[in-house]
Amino acid sequence: MTIYCLYVFDRHCNCVYYHDWHRTKRPKRANDGGGLLPGVSHALSPLPSSSAAGSAPGTPFSSPRNTLASNSGVLVAFNDGSQSPSGVPTSSATPPPPVQAQGGAGGAASGAGLPFDEEAKLVYGVILSLRNMVKRLSGRDESFVSYRTSTYKLHLFETVSGYRLVMLSDPNAESLRFVMRSIYTGPFLEYVVRNPLVPMDSRVRGVDNEYLRASIDRLVRGLSVFQ
Amino acid sequence: MAIFGLWVINKAGGLVYQRNFADGLVQLTSNEYLVLAGTLHGIHAITSRLSPTGTSSGAQVIEAETFKMTILLSPTGTKFVLLTSLAETSASTVLQKVYEAYADAVMKNPFHTPEMPIRSEGFDTRIAALIGTGHT
Repeated sequence: MTIYCLYVFDRHCNCVYYHDWHRTKRPKRANDGGGLLPGVSHALSPLPSSSAAGSAPGTPFSSPRNTLASNSGVLVAFNDGSQSPSGVPTSSATPPPPVQAQGGAGGAASGAGLPFDEEAKLVYGVILSLRNMVKRLSGRDESFVSYRTSTYKLHLFETVSGYRLVMLSDPNAESLRFVMRSIYTGPFLEYVVRNPLVPMDSRVRGVDNEYLRASIDRLVRGLSVFQ
Repeated sequence: MAIFGLWVINKAGGLVYQRNFADGLVQLTSNEYLVLAGTLHGIHAITSRLSPTGTSSGAQVIEAETFKMTILLSPTGTKFVLLTSLAETSASTVLQKVYEAYADAVMKNPFHTPEMPIRSEGFDTRIAALIGTGHT
C-alpha cells in the first residue's frame, strides 16, 4: 500500500501543483515551452536556459528583485528548493530528490516515461473525458470517482471552485477522497488560499511553495495507507 | 446489485454490441453509445501509459458515485464492458462468461464478419440466460 503522487489542476486545465513520493518511474523534466507553468514542482520544471535565466515571467527563483526568499521566517511564497526558512519543521519534509537531468535536453532520467508536461496533460485529459462519460451515462450531475488498473489506482476530488485534486495510489487502496479533502481543507486553504503571495487563478504560475509542500508531505506521510 | 448494461468494443474502438438490462442509467441513442465506446477505447490506451511504476494494464474498473464499469480486455484486443451498481461483486466473473459466450456463439459463427456489429441470436440468448432479459 502506498501513495504515488498528487496533481492539482485549476479550472483553466493548468497543473498548478505536483508532488510525488514512491514513484519508481518518474517523469522527465518538462519540456521548455511545453505549457507547464512555473511554480508547480521545482524538481520537474524545465531547466532555465542559461542565457535566458530570469527572463521567464514571474520566476522569483532567479529574479534579482526577489525579496521573498529572505530567511526572516516571515513568509516565503515560492519553493526555492535550496532555502529552508526558519520556522518550518523540515525534518519530516524531505523533498523528493531532484531529477538528475544532465544537459538541457533533460537527459533520460532512469527509464522515466513521458516529460512531465505531457503527462500532466494526459492525466487531465483522462479525468475530463471520464467525467463527461459518467455524466452522459448517469444523466445526473454525477462525478467520476476513481479507476483502477493492474498497477495503480487514480482518485479524483473536485472542489466547488473548480480545483481538481488527483491522486495515484496502490491499486488495492480504499477511496482516498477523505485524504484529498483534508489536503484541500488543510494545507491548500492555509498556504494557498490564505496566502497573499500566491496568485490564485493567475494562469501564469502554479501554487507551489515551501510551506504547502512541507505540510502536504507531513499529512500524506502520516496516513496509514502510506508506507 | 444490478447490471445496467453490456458493451462489446472491437479492437479499433467501434461498438459492436450494446445491450441494456436493469434501469438506473439513462437510455442514450445508439450514436451516443458509439461515441462513448470510442472515448473509452482512447482512455483505456492512455491509462496504461500513466503508470507511476513499470508497465500497467489499461483501466480495469472505473467507478462513479452510483455505478461502475468493469472492463475485460481479451488478448485479441476486444473489450467487454459491464456497467453495474457499485455493490455488484460478480462483475468480472460475469464478464468472463460473456467472453466464453462470445467465443462460442460469435467467433464460431461462420456468418459473422470479424470486427462488425454482432447480430447473432445465439449470442443474444446466451447473454439473456447469463444476465437476464434486456429491455432493448
